[in-house]
Amino acid sequence: MSERYSRQTLFAPIGKEGQEKIRGKHVLIIGAGALGSGSAEMLTRAGVGQITIVDRDYVEESNLQRQQLYTEQDVELKLPKAAAAEKRLREINSDVRIHSVIGDANPQKLAELADGKDLIIDATDNFETRLAMNDISQKFKIPWIYGACVGSFGMSFTIIPGKTPCLNCLLKKLPIQGMTCDTVGIISPAVGMVVSHQVAEALKILVEDWDAVRPAFVSFDLWRNQYSSMKVGKAKDESCLSCGEQPTYPFLEVENQTKSTVLCGRDTVQVRPPKPLDIQLDELAKQLGALGYAVKGNPYLLSVEMKDERVVIFKDGRALVHGTKDMTAAKSLYNRILG
Amino acid sequence: MIKVLFFAHLRDEAGQESVEVEAAGKSIAELKQELASAYGIQKLDAVMAAVNEEFADDDEVIKEGDTVAFIPPVSGG
Repeated sequence: MSERYSRQTLFAPIGKEGQEKIRGKHVLIIGAGALGSGSAEMLTRAGVGQITIVDRDYVEESNLQRQQLYTEQDVELKLPKAAAAEKRLREINSDVRIHSVIGDANPQKLAELADGKDLIIDATDNFETRLAMNDISQKFKIPWIYGACVGSFGMSFTIIPGKTPCLNCLLKKLPIQGMTCDTVGIISPAVGMVVSHQVAEALKILVEDWDAVRPAFVSFDLWRNQYSSMKVGKAKDESCLSCGEQPTYPFLEVENQTKSTVLCGRDTVQVRPPKPLDIQLDELAKQLGALGYAVKGNPYLLSVEMKDERVVIFKDGRALVHGTKDMTAAKSLYNRILG
Repeated sequence: MIKVLFFAHLRDEAGQESVEVEAAGKSIAELKQELASAYGIQKLDAVMAAVNEEFADDDEVIKEGDTVAFIPPVSGG
């Protein structure tokens, strides 16, 4: 082995044997925002065999303060985060096979992506996706690592099917989405702290050092100087519909899925067609241009300036409607463009 | 008396990091309700609770001298 991983293999709990294990693993990262950027970069540098990273968004100026993989040029080009991440990760370590997926991590997509993976890292920004990820993890028996942050506050917990309680055991009811990056902001050290907890756990799992995996739910507030570690063993609920004795995986059911979502951090609604489409972006750009709208684009998406909103349409028919939090208005606008 | 710790934005809403209250014999759900009205904290029902650094559900009964921490799950990423 080259010198590349020498400092990591010198670390006794990993060693050369652990490095070989890391090399043989495939990690799925859900989200390529702040947490996803951080985890993907650390795991790429650590020499994980393969990384699949999925994200539905594209790079914007307000991301640059904390999303470490992206540059001003990515903003200028409005590159999808997954595509920009793949490019940067390949520059960092050509040993690692990086697969990027531009799209929404809905339950169907998650099931497809989880197949054959050794570990799932949570880097998403909403509980709907996390609870679907939690069900997928239980169904496929793949560990996943919850991580989340807002303001200066962050938290992480490692979920191992058959061993630890799951997210559904801990939450019981869906937390009210009152506090988001939109309302209270986020500082990058909170991101880094969550990422460090998640990636340390990931390395333990990848080298199969199961005894080292942290059994507690950690949370911290870097501004208010608070740290907490909560033991969760007794939270495991045998009647839990996600991980109990008779699981039904409730968050994978269609009625538990929305077709439009208000995105964290911005005045934006995502609208998603029931089935992926194959939009001819060139054609659409011409049509909209002819109607007098300002249209910009690249091979992945089209950005259209409407009266009060800006609509970004991806090739698979998904759209981001900026300038509104009203899901119905967003759908209506979507229909005005795509029928 | 028991000690109550507020994490993250709950600390701002309560105006202090910790309070001491009489709550022995009460359940976590009852304590949440009392604190919500006494300190004007909203949305306590979906907040996680730990008693003496161990996860506690809403039915758990609090004992004299316990430390109860309220930790709000967040979704940003």
